[in-house]
Amino acid sequence: MEMKPILLQGHERSITQIKYNREGDLLFTVAKDPIVKVWYSVNGERLGTYMGHSGAVWCVDADWDTKHVLTGSADNSCCLWDCETGKQLALLKTNSAVRTCGFDFGGNIIMFSTDKQMGYQCFVSFFDLRDPSQIDNNEPYMKIPCNDSKITSAVWGPLGECIIAGHEGGELNQYSAKSGEVLVNVKEHSRQINDIQLSRDMTIFVTASKDNTAKLFDSTTLEHQKTFRTERPVSSAALSPNYDHVVLGGGQEAMDVTTTSTRIGKFEARFFHLAFEEEFGRVKGHFGPINSVAFHPDGKSYSSSGEDGYVRIHYFDPQYFEFEFEA
Amino acid sequence: MQDAENVAAPEAAEQRAEPVQQQPAAEPPPGEEPPRPPGPGAQEAASGEDDEAGPEPEEPAEPAAAAEERAASAPGAPSPPPEEPPAPAPAAGEAPAEQAGDAAAEARSEGAGGEDGGADEPSFSDPEDFVDDVSEEELLGDILKDRPQEADGIDSVIVVDNVPQVGPDRLEKLKNVIHKIFSKFGKITNDFYPEEDGKTKGYTFLEYASPAHALDAVKNADGYKLDKQHTFRVNLFTDFDKYMTISDEWDIPEKQPFKDLGNLRYWLEEAECRDQYSVIFESGDRTSIFWNDVKDPVSIEERARWTETYVRWSPKGTYLATFHQRGIALWGGEKFKQIQRFSHQGVQLIDFSPCERYLVTFSPLMDTQDDPQAIIIWDILTGQKKRGFHCESSAHWPIFKWSHDGKFFARMTLDTLSIYETPSMGLLDKKSLKISGIKDFSWSPGGNIIAFWVPEDKDIPARVTLMQLPTRQEIRVRNLFNVVDCKLHWQKNGDYLCVKVDRTPKGTQGVVTNFEIFRMREKQVPVDVVEMKETIIAFAWEPNGSKFAVLHGEAPRISVSFYHVKNNGKIELIKMFDKQQANTIFWSPQGQFVVLAGLRSMNGALAFVDTSDCTVMNIAEHYMASDVEWDPTGRYVVTSVSWWSHKVDNAYWLWTFQGRLLQKNNKDRFCQLLWRPRPPTLLSQDQIKQIKKDLKKYSKIFEQKDRLSQSKASKELVERRRTMMEDFRKYRKMAQELYMEQKSERLELRGGVDTDELDSNVEDWEEETIEFFVTEEIIPLGNQE
Repeated sequence: MEMKPILLQGHERSITQIKYNREGDLLFTVAKDPIVKVWYSVNGERLGTYMGHSGAVWCVDADWDTKHVLTGSADNSCCLWDCETGKQLALLKTNSAVRTCGFDFGGNIIMFSTDKQMGYQCFVSFFDLRDPSQIDNNEPYMKIPCNDSKITSAVWGPLGECIIAGHEGGELNQYSAKSGEVLVNVKEHSRQINDIQLSRDMTIFVTASKDNTAKLFDSTTLEHQKTFRTERPVSSAALSPNYDHVVLGGGQEAMDVTTTSTRIGKFEARFFHLAFEEEFGRVKGHFGPINSVAFHPDGKSYSSSGEDGYVRIHYFDPQYFEFEFEA
Repeated sequence: MQDAENVAAPEAAEQRAEPVQQQPAAEPPPGEEPPRPPGPGAQEAASGEDDEAGPEPEEPAEPAAAAEERAASAPGAPSPPPEEPPAPAPAAGEAPAEQAGDAAAEARSEGAGGEDGGADEPSFSDPEDFVDDVSEEELLGDILKDRPQEADGIDSVIVVDNVPQVGPDRLEKLKNVIHKIFSKFGKITNDFYPEEDGKTKGYTFLEYASPAHALDAVKNADGYKLDKQHTFRVNLFTDFDKYMTISDEWDIPEKQPFKDLGNLRYWLEEAECRDQYSVIFESGDRTSIFWNDVKDPVSIEERARWTETYVRWSPKGTYLATFHQRGIALWGGEKFKQIQRFSHQGVQLIDFSPCERYLVTFSPLMDTQDDPQAIIIWDILTGQKKRGFHCESSAHWPIFKWSHDGKFFARMTLDTLSIYETPSMGLLDKKSLKISGIKDFSWSPGGNIIAFWVPEDKDIPARVTLMQLPTRQEIRVRNLFNVVDCKLHWQKNGDYLCVKVDRTPKGTQGVVTNFEIFRMREKQVPVDVVEMKETIIAFAWEPNGSKFAVLHGEAPRISVSFYHVKNNGKIELIKMFDKQQANTIFWSPQGQFVVLAGLRSMNGALAFVDTSDCTVMNIAEHYMASDVEWDPTGRYVVTSVSWWSHKVDNAYWLWTFQGRLLQKNNKDRFCQLLWRPRPPTLLSQDQIKQIKKDLKKYSKIFEQKDRLSQSKASKELVERRRTMMEDFRKYRKMAQELYMEQKSERLELRGGVDTDELDSNVEDWEEETIEFFVTEEIIPLGNQE
């Protein structure tokens, strides 16, 4: 695919996650440096930064009306920010690194999960923002312990009734956001689930796994629908909002790359058809593994970010929209 | 045979099976049975026991039998109680308890009678009328049980026949010799040399400390060649009985049930003439067999943990060998059923004879001084061990090299070349060849000729010798000077032998390589020489032709040269390509086409060359490729990156012989691909010629077939996509219906704002003007290609 990318340079270290807000005008990026950044997606201009973390930032989320931003960091904290002013509204201290975080559908409840680290086990904590005392006292209304295999990615399910968590061992769990019990448990991946992203209508989601595949699941039942195979660990996958397409990013981890040849890493974003599970396009560009991919909510562009510290915004060429499988 | 007997005589069937089993004379009695002195009493007792076993009360047969036995042995036993009543006296076992009980009761009643008087002091003296009827068994039955028996130690005695007959003067010497040979198996506690007319009788009895030693001696010393006239026959003394009662009538050996293995060559009958290959992946956990197909490989069989290390096909493709800690298993037939097993603990290496009749296995674990088991040669058809060998040298596998027809096999040890023959597995003409300094040898693949070479020894030049077998006639000897090393390369048909000679000629520096080409099919085996001054990286004969390829030079200036041995014996350089990225030569098994590969460190560069006109058909790369495998027909070639050599990108790629890439098959932790070999063609040379002549006719048919299958395939693909799409649409429709149902909940959660579509709340939008500082950015196109 021929595409004109916009390069966002600003982070000093490899990018860990990127996310558009609901409207898609903003792109939030977090990296292994402590500064959270937000950009105009239309031209790649930097809009601002959120300063306050003191370690690598693993995750970011914005609520539906882009009032608040939530970030989780390896400095053992989760931060709530005012999106517009960049003011830190809350700092929730934890015992270990915060790996995933998110706002529920209504933007009232936040969720984050912590790493199994330094003798602490993995927890998912839930705070209701409508009750300020929870934040003030750092007392979540619910804390789900997760003993077996730690959570490596998590998102809110549709309507904020549950969260869907992917684990280190490849398991998927659906936890009730009210009782904390496991509603559904499936294991379709054989290795760590690096990323989970919902479709725009939240009825399906795609997982990206270290087992070289991405898979499509039903959000309600967690029934496995489709599999997209590559030869490399997949670190992120995103669904197109208006086409039956999915984009996969990944690559061999830095420590596993034994030669200097960039060829061996294969750092391409790869496009698959959702129904046929067939690959139809690749976009090169990154000098290292791709860590995070995201589709613009209008489906006309997508962004990728990687170990090389760059964020690349790609607008699709007309051929992309015209392309159709013979069927 | 037993079945037949039972059918013929129905009344016999009523009896239990055991007696029948005891009858056939050829059948040895079961080994565990205690030796009984041959006598009618014992036999009767035994059969009585058989007949009456069960709930028969009163007089169990066993004591009777024991009594008989004891009676028989009585004269020799040291202390038989003479006054003992013969009939009810039990020798051992449970019976004594009962007896003792009776006796005690008797004694009590006696005692009661005597004490009736009521004396205060108990009297221990026997009453006057006391008869001592307490048997010795009652008193010390447990000790008597262990008393020596005449037959004790009889299992430890062996009889050695064909011992030289000697007079008293040489008896001592004979005893020494015998003792030396037989004490290898254990301590000899007793020997006996029967004599007649002042000479030994030619057989000897030896007693060991334990029966195990005796068994060992029988197993290993039977057939021992003392000298030309005397080959020992060694038997257990206890087997005497067995051999005495051999019936003079020949019994038809029992027929083994026929095991129908199906058609072991079924794969050759495949209509499309496809080939099979085996694939090991998941770091060895899974093994699959596939049909090779231009479109996609078709799986035939997949098994988890089929082998513990790797697999091997037999040379004609009949068997698939798998490796296990406990030995080798062979599989074959349509369902890949197990055909044979060879138990060899810790087996590491195997080799098939070219005829597929024999299997050679090697294990470093099993060897012992007395029992050579490092290398075992097996008969594949029967599963029997044919012979074991020690592994004396640390030579390269295969240690035993087979002649092309499997008639002979040979191995080299220090200054010795030992040639064995099948099926006896014995040394050919009973002696090895003494070849002082022999460095390497090799069988011709086209006839029973061995080539070997010996290095220079002082004034004697190095020499290469060709020897005809089994006559051992030297058909050609070639002396060579200033030799550093030699390598023997046979052309696959045995038409040519190339001896690659590394030399340091006087007056020059460095190593020069000579290729000495022996033309085997001509009288006197003429030799021509090609000399090369560059380093030689690889050499390979065209399998079915008269060309050879040489890779030479130093990286990065590596060249490949193709030579042709002309009919008049002249060797002609056809073509040389320089700047090659290659370290290995892979000829198509049919000749003409060759793949030059730069494996591993050379990143997997590939060049596909047609040597008929020496054109490079394609240059390609399979990054980090570690292996290249031609299919047995020379139509396809596979390149692969094995997990054994490289941990990422493990895959095998299928190419046409022209270097057109057909498939990339990624397999998780792929380890090894091996094509299933085909047996040699049954077509005659003329038939092959005819087929080549009519190739145009065939190719038309094939092309049509290909077109059909292609259009069928694309139709199938479209059809498959269509159903996938339909199913997916159906599923999505359901999910979206659910989504629509929840619309009100969504509205409620977001304070009445409809966010379902990006522009669904457009009337709420506020116009906002944002000023951008536009900077022009130049993105190098090279980044994205």
